[in-house]
Amino acid sequence: MLLAVLAFPVHAAWTWDAALTVNSVQGAAIFPHIESANRLGVAVSGETVGVVWEDNRDGSPQCYLAIKPAKAAAFKPEVRLSKNECYEPVLLSLGAGRFVAAWEETGKVYARVMPGGKALQLSKTAAVQVTLARGGDTLYAAWAEQAGRFKRIVVASLALKGDTLSVNSAQPVEAIVPADEQGWPALAVAGDGSVTVAWEDRRHRHTVPMASHSRDGKRFAPPARLVDRKSGSVDGLGAGMGAMRPTLTAWGEQGVVAAWLDKRDFLSGYDVYAAFDPGTRTFGRNLKVQDSFGDNMAQWHALIVGDGAGRLVSLWDDARDGTLDVWLSEWEGDAFGDDAAVPAAHGPGAQSDPVATLDAAGSLHVVWIDRDEASGTRVRYARAVRK
Amino acid sequence: MKLIKMVLAAGCLLWAGTVLADPPKGYPFVDFDAGLKAAKASGKPIFVYFGRYGCAWCDHTNKKTFSDAGLKKLYSENYALVYVDAESGKRLTLPSGERITEAELGARLQAFATPLFVYMTAQGDKIMQVPGFKTVQDFQDYDRYVRGGHYKQKTLLEFLGGKS
Repeated sequence: MLLAVLAFPVHAAWTWDAALTVNSVQGAAIFPHIESANRLGVAVSGETVGVVWEDNRDGSPQCYLAIKPAKAAAFKPEVRLSKNECYEPVLLSLGAGRFVAAWEETGKVYARVMPGGKALQLSKTAAVQVTLARGGDTLYAAWAEQAGRFKRIVVASLALKGDTLSVNSAQPVEAIVPADEQGWPALAVAGDGSVTVAWEDRRHRHTVPMASHSRDGKRFAPPARLVDRKSGSVDGLGAGMGAMRPTLTAWGEQGVVAAWLDKRDFLSGYDVYAAFDPGTRTFGRNLKVQDSFGDNMAQWHALIVGDGAGRLVSLWDDARDGTLDVWLSEWEGDAFGDDAAVPAAHGPGAQSDPVATLDAAGSLHVVWIDRDEASGTRVRYARAVRK
Repeated sequence: MKLIKMVLAAGCLLWAGTVLADPPKGYPFVDFDAGLKAAKASGKPIFVYFGRYGCAWCDHTNKKTFSDAGLKKLYSENYALVYVDAESGKRLTLPSGERITEAELGARLQAFATPLFVYMTAQGDKIMQVPGFKTVQDFQDYDRYVRGGHYKQKTLLEFLGGKS
C-alpha cells in the first residue's frame, strides 16, 4: 500500500537532451571506467553536474572529475583527483556547486571536497571500494577494509568545515573479524536520518548481498540478507546462488530501495532484482526489475536511483538488441515498468556501465561508457526531463 | 545426473554444509596476470576457468571431470591455467593493457553461466569459450582443437562434427 502511494505518475516519458562527451582525452589505449561502490559516478550540485571516472591516460590508472554548469554546452576540462594509482571514484553533491569525491588510491581510501579541498585519508589500514551518502548536513562514507585475512565493511561519519573534511567516527558494521570476504558497500540515508548499508558478503560460502541499518550511523543492527533465497548446496554441490554489486537509494519520505545483480535463474546470466524497505528497516520480498524481453539475457552494471518525491529508476546494460545498450525501468507503484533504452546509449557499438542521479527537479542524469577500441572510449552524459 | 539437473533447474537450494566451488584441487591454477605472463614465457595456450564462489555446476565439474588423473596431466602440462572468480573485485590486466576487475571480465565475455571455460593463445587472444558442465572427453576434444591449431581453419562445431 505504502509502495503504491509513493509511486510517481505512471508512464511519464522522458525527453532527452543531446548527449555530450565528458572525457576530453581519448585514445585507442586509454580505458576509462566508471565502476564504483554504489555506482556513484555522477552528481548534481545546485546548477552544476559533476562526473568522476578513472582512466590511464597518464600511464597509470588515475581518477578524474569533470564538471558542467547546467546551461553550458560542454563539460569543462577534467581535473585529476589522485597522485598515484587510483580506482573506483565516487561523487556526492554538497549543494551550491560543491561536491565530495572519494576514491581508492594505492590501497587506501580518500575523500576530498571539490573544488578547493585537500584529500583526506579515510582508512587507517588497507581499504578499497569507498562510497558516500548524505542526509541533511551529515556525511557518511563506507568502504571495505582489511581485517585479518578478509575485508569487512566500515562506516564513517564525516565532518565538514569549510572545504575541510575530517572523520568523526568510523566503525565496522560488525565488530567480529570477518569469516570471509565482504566488499562493494552501498550507503543510503533515509528521510528519517537513519543509515542503511548494503554489501557483498561471502560468509555463507557464496556471494550474498546483505544489509544493516543504524539509527545514528554508529550502532548497526545485525546484518540481514537482501536476497530472499536461502544459502545451501544442491545434492552436496556448491553453496548457493550468485549475486553481486548491491546498490541503494533513499526513496520517498522514509524508504530505502536496493537493487543488485542476481543469478537465481542461473541459465540466463544475472538479472536485476530489487527490494524495498518502506521505512520499517526491513527489506521485503525481491522483485525482478527488467521486463520479459530481457529475461534470456545477462544484465550487467545495475543500479537504482530515487528521490524524496517518490521517483525511482533502475538502470543497467544488456545486449538484447544485439549490442550492449543502456536500459532503464521506472517503478510504477506495484511493479517496475517496461524497459526503455536510453536513446543515446542504444544502437551500434557497445554502450554500458551506466551511473545516474535524479536532481532536485526530478531530471535524470545518466553517464555511461561508449566503448570504441579503434578511436577511443568515451564517457558520455545525457540529461532527461519529463514531458 | 538427471536428478541433479532437475533439482538445480528447480532452484531448490537445500542447506548441506560448506561446499565450495573453487579451482579443482591439484591443478596449478594461477590468477589472470600470472597466467598471461607464464603463457608468454612458455608459449603455451591459456585455459581460463571462469568460476563462481559457491557455484554448484563448478563443484560438479571439479568432482566429475577435473578429478580425472589423465585430464589433470594433460592440462597441467600443456596450458597456462588461469582461474577467475566471476564476482570478484580483484583486478587483472587484459592483453590490451586495460585494467579491469575479474567480475568485469565476465561482462566483457558476456558470461551467462558458470563455469565458463575460455581458451586463449599464448598472447592472450581468445580462441573460444564454452559454458557449463563438460566431460573429460569434451576437454580432450577441446585440447585437440586448440593445440592442434584446428581453430584456425574450422569452427569447433565443424571440428567436432568431423571426428569419429
